[in-house]
Amino acid sequence: MSARNPGTKLDLERISKVKVNTQAVLKRAQQIQGQKLLKKQWQAAWLLKAVTCIDLTTLAGDDTPSNVHRLCLKAIQPVRIDLLRKMDMHDKGVTTAAVCVYPSRVADAVASLKAANSSLPVASVATGFPAGQTPLETRLQEVRMAVADGATEIDIVINRTLALTGQWEAMYDEIRQFREACGDAHMKTILAIGELGTFTNVYKASMVAMMAGSDFIKTSTGKEAVNATYPVAIVMVRAIRDYYLCTGQKVGFKPAGGIRTAQESLVWLCLIKEELGNDWLCPHLFRLGASSLLADIERQIYHHVTGQYAAYHELPMA
Amino acid sequence: MAGSATKTVYDIFQSMEYGPAAVSSTVTAQAWLDHHSRSLGLFIDGKFVRPADRQSRSLTDSKGANVCSTVCAVEDDVSLCASSAVNGYKAWSGMTCYSRAKVLLRLVSSLGQHTKCVLELCELCEASCSPSTLVRLLQYYSSWAQLRDTLITNWTPLGVVAVVVSDDCSLYSLILKVLPALAMGNSVIVVPGRSTAAPALLLAQLFVGAGLPAGALNVLTGSDIMLGATVAQDPRISYITYCGNKQDGVKLCKATAGMGVPISVSPCIGATCSFIIFESADIDSAVDGVIEAAFKKKKEVHWVLCVQESALDSVVARLSLRMSGMKCVGLSSEADRVLVDAAVQEAQQQGAKLVQSCTAAPSGALYPPTVLCGAAPSSSFVVNPCPGPLLPLMTFRSNTEAVTLGNHSPHGLAASIWTEDLTLALETAKSLSVGSVWVNSHSVSDPCLPVSGHKDSGTCTDGGQEGLYQFLRPSCCSCPLPRSSPVSLDYTKFGTAASPAIIVPDESASSPKSYLQFVGGKACKAESGCSVAVQPPGGGSVLAYCPDGGRKDVRNAVEAASKVQPGWMKKSPSARAQSLYSLAKNLESKKKDMAASLSIQGTLSAEEAENEVDISSARLSDWAAYCDKLQGGSLPMPQSGSALSIPEALGVVGLVLPDKNPLLSMVTLLGAAIATGNAVIMVPSQKNPLAALAFIQVLQASDLPAGLVNIISGSRDQLTVALANHSVLKAIWYWGSAEGCQYLQYSCTCPLKTLRLFCQTDDGQRVNLYTAISVNKKKKKCNVNANLRAHVVPGLFVIGANALSDVTSVTRSFRVV
Repeated sequence: MSARNPGTKLDLERISKVKVNTQAVLKRAQQIQGQKLLKKQWQAAWLLKAVTCIDLTTLAGDDTPSNVHRLCLKAIQPVRIDLLRKMDMHDKGVTTAAVCVYPSRVADAVASLKAANSSLPVASVATGFPAGQTPLETRLQEVRMAVADGATEIDIVINRTLALTGQWEAMYDEIRQFREACGDAHMKTILAIGELGTFTNVYKASMVAMMAGSDFIKTSTGKEAVNATYPVAIVMVRAIRDYYLCTGQKVGFKPAGGIRTAQESLVWLCLIKEELGNDWLCPHLFRLGASSLLADIERQIYHHVTGQYAAYHELPMA
Repeated sequence: MAGSATKTVYDIFQSMEYGPAAVSSTVTAQAWLDHHSRSLGLFIDGKFVRPADRQSRSLTDSKGANVCSTVCAVEDDVSLCASSAVNGYKAWSGMTCYSRAKVLLRLVSSLGQHTKCVLELCELCEASCSPSTLVRLLQYYSSWAQLRDTLITNWTPLGVVAVVVSDDCSLYSLILKVLPALAMGNSVIVVPGRSTAAPALLLAQLFVGAGLPAGALNVLTGSDIMLGATVAQDPRISYITYCGNKQDGVKLCKATAGMGVPISVSPCIGATCSFIIFESADIDSAVDGVIEAAFKKKKEVHWVLCVQESALDSVVARLSLRMSGMKCVGLSSEADRVLVDAAVQEAQQQGAKLVQSCTAAPSGALYPPTVLCGAAPSSSFVVNPCPGPLLPLMTFRSNTEAVTLGNHSPHGLAASIWTEDLTLALETAKSLSVGSVWVNSHSVSDPCLPVSGHKDSGTCTDGGQEGLYQFLRPSCCSCPLPRSSPVSLDYTKFGTAASPAIIVPDESASSPKSYLQFVGGKACKAESGCSVAVQPPGGGSVLAYCPDGGRKDVRNAVEAASKVQPGWMKKSPSARAQSLYSLAKNLESKKKDMAASLSIQGTLSAEEAENEVDISSARLSDWAAYCDKLQGGSLPMPQSGSALSIPEALGVVGLVLPDKNPLLSMVTLLGAAIATGNAVIMVPSQKNPLAALAFIQVLQASDLPAGLVNIISGSRDQLTVALANHSVLKAIWYWGSAEGCQYLQYSCTCPLKTLRLFCQTDDGQRVNLYTAISVNKKKKKCNVNANLRAHVVPGLFVIGANALSDVTSVTRSFRVV
């Protein structure tokens, strides 16, 4: 990964000036969803780009070493090699961006990937995922242990209590401490936008998270009632743009939760291209948190290559 | 897109470019055109007519391929069409409201079956109007058709209405005229422009299929706007309404002057509109709005971006980021490219910085979206905007300066303002003298919104209930203008005949009284110092002398009026009502004097004269009562967000008063004008000026602000010319000669003035609205309505529902509104 966001001082004046017009954001979201410009090889190329941005995720109570192992191998070879070969993409390093697991499964994932000679990063959720309602000390400890087990990316969740009550300073301090605990591991900060109430709050939380040194800001855990929606994403990427304009630092964006279809993944890429530009269209600055999305993308690619619609069993499972 | 087929997946994977725009199919529309052998006839009497030996006009698409050709109608066709429209009117207006509404609704389902054809044809002709918009228009007006007799009682349709549009007018604007005319029971002759011709013909065909009687909707195609004038010439046409660019509108006005047909103009194309971003705005959303609004291929208005100085850097930074990678916009011709290059070069010479999506290719009909930062109101590319994707950017310091900047324009069509501050939004919206103000949004249109441009942007209201009245007249009065042929009139000579010089004898008990006129709150002599003699009908001894006012008196009066008018308009309605009540009371207390001034000329008996004074005070009280009953309100928008309509005064209005019932007619018009917040310059009847001049003492005793009401006597024609040539005047109401009507129609085009013309003949036989009033009370009510509608210009602004979340306490009550 490129240069990391060192963060800045907490600028409360900036935070207090934030203004977001809900209707205008909703309209913009509709506009972006209405764009249909991708057909044929353009669609295939964009879908492959989406694949390379996926954090292939399993976050379930019944995760064991065996399904984590399957996930890792699928992450290394996300699309059937013969399909890639037809598009002359078999030697272009098409893998997912990372695998993402619970802290207890980090060691399993690291072992599987190492055995398969892959340098794919392992990401771990941490800090009392998904609610964040555990004491700060245990949350910090969780981060340190995941890093010790070999996770190179940590998805932390913010303390919604602090955000909802407007205690931005306290939230800033917490995230700062997480960042320190992460060490060299990249930090993605989950805002849990479904629980933040307003767009203005989402914007402010994004700003605070970036000022505190997040490498990515991420929409949701996938466990809230509302997950990644386009309007909320617009608000967050605007905050990213704002932060970039005043610090020169590029912070990444990761929508997660509820992204299941290839079409949706194209809209996400489109949104990033429109709002932030091509620079952000790479795994360093854009990730899609998803589990079942990959299967649908692979089917679409199968269709592009063969002209046939695949049955799910024709493509290797994760 | 040469070479696009060879792009490999890996190329695209790296460049992450968009694919070529999907080429939309036009098969269905082509099939319809082929069915008509690519040459579309005129649509007369419910069917296509293709007269022989006519010139044709061919229409090509954006790539230069032939789409179809249309017939250029000549006088014979117009005449045929007019008789068809008269028959169509009989059949259509004879139907019940319910059956008319049903026809409009049936067209909705018929559109549903032909969506593809309509969509594709509009695309081919670049008439951009989606079928869903058409459906919305039809549904909205079908409900008006249904409720006409319930909600708009005592009004009747005009008869045959001609809807004329320019070549660049959109189909939406055209239909926004056609449907209300039909819904009110008129028959319509459409004279479409180049891009709307084929879609209009298709819609007419579908309309007849939906059960519209033959002849109720006719389409005449031609080569240019002058076909509209040919149509106007036909005496069977009752009203012309025009929509499109200003130049063609002016041409049409001049060409139809003196035909005795009322015309109204909505120049919705080519106006300059401000896009104002305050520092309190959601800047990102505002920038999105700018990008969406300003760089369209087919631009209907010229936007000027006005940004508060403190927000300039962040707006420009976001604009440059968002615009990078935007595609170039196609210009309509190489000639446009020359204009664009000249404008950009001039801007750069003035030190303007460019924000561009990419550098422009040295030539060709493609140009990148470009913002010209550092423009000024005096820059010639702001004064005379050129085509192409150019957007001038200016800065302002304070909220008041934003309003000044926005208002400093000959146009008054619309503005878009961006702020999250409720108070600021409302204040700015009210202070901008434009027809529509969009708050935190732009270009919102819907038939429920009444839109009437200020200044050079229109003389009528389209949309909403107000927009229906242009297609109706009160049941009690006949058409105010008799049909006539334009006389050859030397417009430069009109009203220049010198009035006969007279010598006013020295004051003595026996000599006739000398009256004064009333300018800026002071009773005074004419600037020229001259007087004219007032004589009884048929001649005879001099009854009185009155001032011979002229151009300079009008100038002084307008100056005074325009100073006090804004304050008067801002006064609370109840304060205006009190002033009018006291005026009515003063009139009553001066009953003797006033009655004497009425009867002195011998046309009225003393009793009749006193009666007229009584009715006049009652009339003033009516208007006083109306002051706080005129209100706007919220409008039912289908989209999210709220819309408010606020009635606004026109400004300074000129009144050339009728001969009949000089006092009653004067107070009726005066009351209507000032009750709604206008200031007036009144020219009393040349024959019977004494009542108006005697009224000056009533005005002097009242608490109306000095300058609000001005009375200038003298030669009617001379004063009419003076009123017509003063750009500050927004409207003229004229009772007078046919030549005067023709003169006004011809000359009140730059800037546009709202005209209400009534032709009175010398023998007084011409129907005078106000004689009817004194007899019949019921009729009076409807006439009061007539004046009311004519005088109120409803402004409009739209507020995004959540725009104002920072002011929560107010927001709640506001949403209810």
